[in-house]
Parts: sequence; structure tokens; C-alpha cells
Amino acid sequence: MRPFVDVRSLRLRFETGEKDILSNINFQLHDGESVLLLGPSGSGKSTLTSCLNGLFPRELDGEMEGDIFIDGKKTIDYRPGELSKQVGVVFQDPETQFCMLNVEDEVAFGLENIGVPFEEMEEKIEDALELVDMQDYKESAIATLSGGQKQKLALACILALKPSLLILDEPTANLDPIATKDLIETIKNLREKIKFGLVIIEHKLDDWTDLAERCLLLNREGEIFNDSLLRTAIRNNRSQLVEQGIWLPKVAQFFLKDNPDQMELPLTVEEFAAYPSRFAFVAEKRISRNSSESGISILETRNIAWSARKRDIIKDVSLSIYEGEFIAIVGANGSGKTTLSRILSGIQKPASGSISLKGKALKEWKESLLRQEIGYVFQNPEHQFITNTVYDEVAFSLKMKNEPAETIREKVYEILDTFGLLELKNEHPFSLSQGQKRRLSVATMIVDGQSFLLLDEPTFGQDAQSNAELMRLLQQRHERGATILMITHDMEIVDQYASRVVVMNNGEVVADCTPESLWDKEAKNLKAWQLELPVSVQIKKIHEEEAYYVSTTS
Amino acid sequence: MFLQRLNPSLKALTIMLFVVLLAMIFDPITPLLFLIWTVSITFLFGKVAWKKYTLYFIPFLIFAFGMLWTTIIFADTPTNKDDSITLFGMTYPRESLLTALALSLRVLNVAALSLLFIFTTNIVHFILSLMQQLRLPPKIAYAVLAGYRFLPMMRDEIKIIHDAHRVRGVNQAKTIKEKWENYKRYSIPLLASSIRKAERTAMAMESKGFTGEKNRTFYRQFSIKKTDWIFPLIMLLGFSAAVIVSLEMGYLKLFS
Amino acid sequence: MANWRFKEIVVMAALAVVFGVVYLAFLPLGGVLVGFFGPIGYDLIFGIWFIVSIIAAYIIQKPGAAFLSETIAAMVEVLIGNAIGPMLIVTGMVQGLGAEAAFAATRWKNYSVWVLMAAGVGSAVTSFIYGYFMSGYAALAPGYVTAMFIVRMISGALIAGLLGKALSDGLAKTGVLSSFALGKEYRKKHAA
Repeated sequence: MRPFVDVRSLRLRFETGEKDILSNINFQLHDGESVLLLGPSGSGKSTLTSCLNGLFPRELDGEMEGDIFIDGKKTIDYRPGELSKQVGVVFQDPETQFCMLNVEDEVAFGLENIGVPFEEMEEKIEDALELVDMQDYKESAIATLSGGQKQKLALACILALKPSLLILDEPTANLDPIATKDLIETIKNLREKIKFGLVIIEHKLDDWTDLAERCLLLNREGEIFNDSLLRTAIRNNRSQLVEQGIWLPKVAQFFLKDNPDQMELPLTVEEFAAYPSRFAFVAEKRISRNSSESGISILETRNIAWSARKRDIIKDVSLSIYEGEFIAIVGANGSGKTTLSRILSGIQKPASGSISLKGKALKEWKESLLRQEIGYVFQNPEHQFITNTVYDEVAFSLKMKNEPAETIREKVYEILDTFGLLELKNEHPFSLSQGQKRRLSVATMIVDGQSFLLLDEPTFGQDAQSNAELMRLLQQRHERGATILMITHDMEIVDQYASRVVVMNNGEVVADCTPESLWDKEAKNLKAWQLELPVSVQIKKIHEEEAYYVSTTS
Repeated sequence: MFLQRLNPSLKALTIMLFVVLLAMIFDPITPLLFLIWTVSITFLFGKVAWKKYTLYFIPFLIFAFGMLWTTIIFADTPTNKDDSITLFGMTYPRESLLTALALSLRVLNVAALSLLFIFTTNIVHFILSLMQQLRLPPKIAYAVLAGYRFLPMMRDEIKIIHDAHRVRGVNQAKTIKEKWENYKRYSIPLLASSIRKAERTAMAMESKGFTGEKNRTFYRQFSIKKTDWIFPLIMLLGFSAAVIVSLEMGYLKLFS
Repeated sequence: MANWRFKEIVVMAALAVVFGVVYLAFLPLGGVLVGFFGPIGYDLIFGIWFIVSIIAAYIIQKPGAAFLSETIAAMVEVLIGNAIGPMLIVTGMVQGLGAEAAFAATRWKNYSVWVLMAAGVGSAVTSFIYGYFMSGYAALAPGYVTAMFIVRMISGALIAGLLGKALSDGLAKTGVLSSFALGKEYRKKHAA
């Protein structure tokens, strides 16, 4: 049978690059086949997408060699736009995939492009929206949709064109865990309704594993170093996977920690639950957390509240933060996490209530002195960059204080070295990789000796390696006595690092305890707050049930 | 509601035609009468909230006032110096005063025409109609629409960048030079992110089969109906009447 | 339209949105200036109108970039609620032609600071001629009109030309222009 996609000796280089971004790529996909395409950031995954949907070489600044056949015809022989009926792509960023203001017009846009007659459009639009369960939003403004809904709309726009191959280019990278699950669920349901081939580009494997068995692995050199079943790849190429910064499923990671030599790994909690005894299990030794019992309060809030557009975002929150704590703020999107962190750091003034830092009301602090106490790392690191080189970026606040040049140099070099950025000191901050940008933004926030650091989802959208590196740095900082407060959706991080966890729900603090006591809360509460248990806890619970089962039946 | 249902391209062309015609008139009576006509049409045939309308109109009043007094002061030397009018205890050449009034009323009239358009037109429909009636290239039309979507994102982003820079300890700018430096610091990340957004959006649109070719179909179809021509006719009627009245009163003045 | 990449055109629209916001922020200031100084008040900040065409032409370096970008910018302005209405599109085209003329004079080969400033002046000239008829400057004293003209040309040269260049160069350093002419040029220089 002729393969639907046939890539032969593909090599690609950008005009600006010194090395090939893709080299010697060969693979075939059959009609209706699904495949996971994994690789670290910068491995050319998205470039490959552009090759498959025919955008390259037409729009490429650079050179491309080799052939790609789609349905037996070379991509370069398709007329521009024609390939969109064969290959559809859902991209990563929910904000930049649309050009119209409301949902139906956006779906119609694709249909208009391929010349669908006016009379047929209405029905096609409705069908496409129904496939992703968005029919109720037909007349909604796109701006009012959530990130997850936008991605579903992007999917509907593609489905309306009825492509035979669907490429998902990290579609969940900007979504929270709940929206991620929902999108993956939607795609699973689709598979039952219509037939299409699927290429899933990801660096996080969780939840995708049962959609595709086959897995292609790209390395940083842009070569495919594995084409096998995912399970086989994890067995045979595990070290490369880790080295390339690919996130193994959380369950697999968990087992690897204690059994680095184990060959067969469970990929989902369900898989583990089916045969718990198949997998060697050692009770987890957790990282010893410095407990926060310094007892010295650094920040106190009393009954703070804030509202925007007649909606209460923060309602009556009172918190005390103690020196040396590692606090995680968790909760659903829109629960007020970011607003709370901004109020705590003095960026946003509360509408009512009081905040004091080290016993002095926040509003009485001089802004420049306040910034030497509190650092705040924004979600998008680029927003915080203000100079033209990595070095100047870190040196900036020291220069503002007119410290002697020699001291500045010393301090900056030390920090850059710790953060693995010293070699990049003359680069422009914007030209760094995602992980480097994040580290730089943290570096700029602690160089002045800030002892209280707030971070807004610092692990969002990063590959596994960058993430581990960042957490290591934060942990190090924490051990040296810094107080850390971070917003996160990642319960593994909460479980591993936090000494205290604050749960926000509808603008209120609904739980404020240690992670352990949070995991022990009733399941229905956790569900209402849109939290899921970390894998280690899930597994422990399964084990306990198993042990109970074994002990009662034997 | 007739103005809302009017073909947007035809409406725009009509407005533009009368802006050009007004530019040839240098007496105060014609623009005054046509101003009244334009505002009346706006409220008679378009469902326009008068509060919002007034709010939009006020800046033009200020602008027109500035125009009025400066034109009196900086007016070209009148041909007939002896013919003067005394107002508020000051004497002005009659010709300068009339010209100043004419120019200020022109500003207001142009404003009224623009507001008629803005308050009764769905701008997305305007762009779609430009493509269908006036052969605006789809590449331009959809780029403009895509750009329009960035507006709220950029507003949010400006605020975030402002806060993010404050945290870095910038922003306590006191002198103009420091303020200027701050503006430059804002603009680079803002421009950089908008360029990236634009590139990504273009790519997403192209992968949905957009090529910029003119032979596309349309989900929202626009055409110029026979009844649409009533609007330019009504406006022409009003304009002619204004010119004739002004002529009868002996004020009409074309060009300067 | 065939020799334009769609990406380039969307970038023009995006630039137009950024400066549209900037312009709207300046609009009240312009109103106040006009209230005090008459029409010349506007001329002081008039250059901000042309900056998009200078930046787009400098970044993309293709014939027609200045004209096309200014036209697109005007359409975006109409969309984001600039109260001058559809007539603004014509205004934009007129301004774009002025800047384009300056680049055309160098056969679209030279994008030095002087040419960029000349392009700003070019926009000032065409927009002034247009304004002369549409706003009836003919009725004003020749001295005042001359002053307006000079102020507008200076504003075009400085705000559009000089500032436009500074911002574009700043952007080139960030690396986001890597697929545009200016970014490629910068990279070459940087590598050498």
C-alpha cells in the first residue's frame, strides 16, 4: 500500500543558521496512522510541520533538500493552499491562530479559502463545531473564549477542511492541566467519529500515550534517532530521551527515580493500577524539605480584596508568610492566583485590606527599597527584559544603585555562572532559548539579594531539562534561606518542593496546609478545586488498596 | 436602521465624496446647513446613542474652536480691509471671520460625516465589503483583520510590561530624558512580540489554505442593492440645498 | 500582490496596531496643542503618523513597502476607532506615496539614516499638500502656512525618520527580524 506521507532524505537549513535544522529525515505514515513526534525544543519539530503542510520550501528562507510525498504527490507540486485539504495543523499558541472576530466567521475563513460554495458553508460550520463540542459557541466572540476553547476552535477550523492528516504542534503547551485533558479527550472522541492520520508533536507525554503507539524521536541535531513503539523507545533509548529533555510520563518518571534499571515501565496510572505487582515499588524518599519553622513572619496580609470589571477577583484573604517557606499557590485558572501574587508583591494595590512587609505597611515602603526585598518573575520572561545583553540585564539593578563597577562585575559573573548563562553574556536576552530566558529572568530578580521571590508559573511550556535546572536553582536559593512563593499547576512540583500549599478557589483561600495534608483531603474537594493528586500519591494509594485487598483475601 | 443595512463600501465612498466636496467650500452657510443635514440623517436613519455621539463629538468641537481663533488671527490679509465686524469688543475683518467660521464648520461637518459612518458600520463588514465591491486584495484585507485582533492583546501587554519594568526598578523616571528612555524600553518588547504574533498568525492562516487569491467564496456576502443608492441621493439633495441657500443669501464662496 | 509574502503584510498590520495605540494616546495631546497654537500644534507630532511606513520600508526593504504599510496602517486606524473615518485611508495612501518617493529616488537600494529622514520629509510634503486643500490652509497667512510646513517636515524627519530608525535597529538586535531584510543585514554585520 502506498504510504500517505513519505519523507525521503529531507534536509533543511535556515539562511541564518550555521547548521542543519533537519537532516536525513526518512519516514512513512500510512493512511489513518498515528505517531508521536518527540524532541527537545529547537530540534526542528515545528520546521518539519511546515514542510509537511507545504509552507516550506515556498516560505522558507534557506535551503531544503529531499522529497516529501503526500498522497503520492510531491508537496512542491501542489498548488499553494491546495495541501490544506490534505494536511491540517493545530498550533501551540491559542492567541495567534485566528483572523476573524467570531467563531463562525473563523471556521468559514478556511472554507472560503478552499472555495466551498456559500450554500454549503452553514452546514459545514455547524458540523465542524459539533465535532469538538463547541456548537453552542457558534456566534460567540473569539476573545471571550478560554484558551482551551480556542484550541478546540482551531481544531474545528481544521476539521471543516476534512484533512486526511492532522498535525498537532504542541497544542496543549499553553493550557492548564484541566484544559489539556479536555482537549486530548476531544481528540480521542474524534477518532471514534471520523478517520484521519495523526501526528502529535509534544515534549510532554502524559495523556497522549494511548492515542499513538508509534514514536519518532528527534535529537538536537534534527535527526530521527528512533522510530519504534513508544514502549520500546522508552526501554531502549531511555537515556537519550532524558538527555534530550523529553518528559517521560509522570508515572514512568516516578518509577525510574527508585529503579533506574527497570526495563518495563508503566505509562499511565491506569496501566500501573491494572498490574501493580508487575512494577517494583519502593516507598519514595522525598527531598528533605527545610521546614519553615523559622517563625519569623515577613509578610502579613489582613482581609485583602480586589475586584475588576465588577467581578470580585480576591475576596477577604488573610495570609502570613514566614521566612524560609517554600509556598505553592495552586487552583483553577481564574481563581485569583496571579492577582494574589501581584498584590503580595506590591505590584497591584488591593482595593481594601492591609499588607505589611517586615512589620511596615507595604505602601510606606519606598519602591526602590521594596524591590530589593521582593523579586517577582513574570509568566513571560521577555516582558521583564530591558537591556540589550544578558550581562547588562543582570547588572541593571546594581547599576541603578551606583555600586562600584568591580563589585557589579563580580556579582554578575557569579550569578551568570550559577545560572549557566556566562557564555551567553553578550547575547541579546530575546535571542535566548525559552529555558535560558526563564533562568535569566530569575537571575535578574535575585542579583540584588532579594530574599523573597515570587514566581508566576515558572515551569510553563518548558522542556524537562530546563525545568529540572530551574527547580534545582530555586531549591538552592531556598536552602540559602530565601523565601519562595510560586504559582503552579504542576502537583509533582508541589509535592516535591513546597513546604506549604495555598489553594485558591473563586478568589478565596480554601486550603492552606502542607502538601501531605492537601493530598489527604476529600476527593470531591480536590475535584471542585480542579486539582489532581501527584502521581506518587496516586500510586501510593493504589498500593495501599492492593495491600488491603491482598491482606483481606488471603 | 436604514444606515446600518447600507452597503459599507458605498457608504464610505459617499462620505468621502462629500468630504472632498466640502473642501471646495469657503463660506460658513453651506457647511452649517449640511452639518445640520448630516446630523439629522444620522439620527433619523441610524440607531445612534446620542450620549456616545456627543462624547465623540466634543474633541472635534475643541479642535474646531482652536481652528476658529487661529484662523482669525493668522488669516491671509483680506482683500477688503474696511469691511469689519465687531465681536466681544474687538474688531475683525468681516472676510477673515467668515473664512474662520467656514473652516471650523467644515471640521465639524467632516466629523459628523465620519461619525455617521463609524456609528452605523460594522467594521469587519466594511473590510469584507471592500474586498467584494472595491476589489481590495484579500491579502491586505485579512492582514488588517488579523492585526485588529491584536489590539486587546497589546493593550494587556502594555500594562504587563509596565508592571514588569517597575519590578525591575525602572519607571521612576523624573526627567523627560528618562521618560523617553522608558518609552523606548517598552516599545521594543511590545514590537518584538507583535512581530512574532504576526508571523505565527500568518503561518496559521496560510496553513488553512489562505493564498491571497481573489477567487474565494464568501460566507458573508455583500452587494450593492438599488435601494442603497438612496443614501448618496439624499446626501446630494442636502448638499445641493445647502449650496443653493448659501448662494441665495449671497454667501457662497468656492475656493479661496 | 503576488511578490508580497503574506507574513510581511500581517507584520505591517501588527506594527500599525502598535502605533495606532500610540497615536491614540497622543491624540488628546494633539487636541490640546491645536487649542493653543492652532493647526500648527498638530504638525509638531505629525511625524508619528508616518513612522509605520518608515519602519516597514526599513525592515522589509522592498519597493512599495512604505506605501503599502501606510495604507494598511490607515485601514487599521479606521478599525480601531480613529474618528476620522474612511477618509483616513486616502490620507494614509497620500502619506505613503511621499515616503515611497524618497525610497524610489534611491531605487530602493539605500536605507541610510538620511534616506529614512528624507522619507519622513516626503510624507510630510505630500500630506501637507493634501491638507492644504482638504483643510483649507489657503485661507491662512502665508507666513503661518510656511511655519506649519516647516514644523511638519522637521517632525517627519525626526519622529518618523530618526525614531523609526532607532526603533527598527533596536528590534534587529532582538533577533525577531531574522526573516526580514534588516534582520539578515544585522546578522551579517554581527557575524563579520
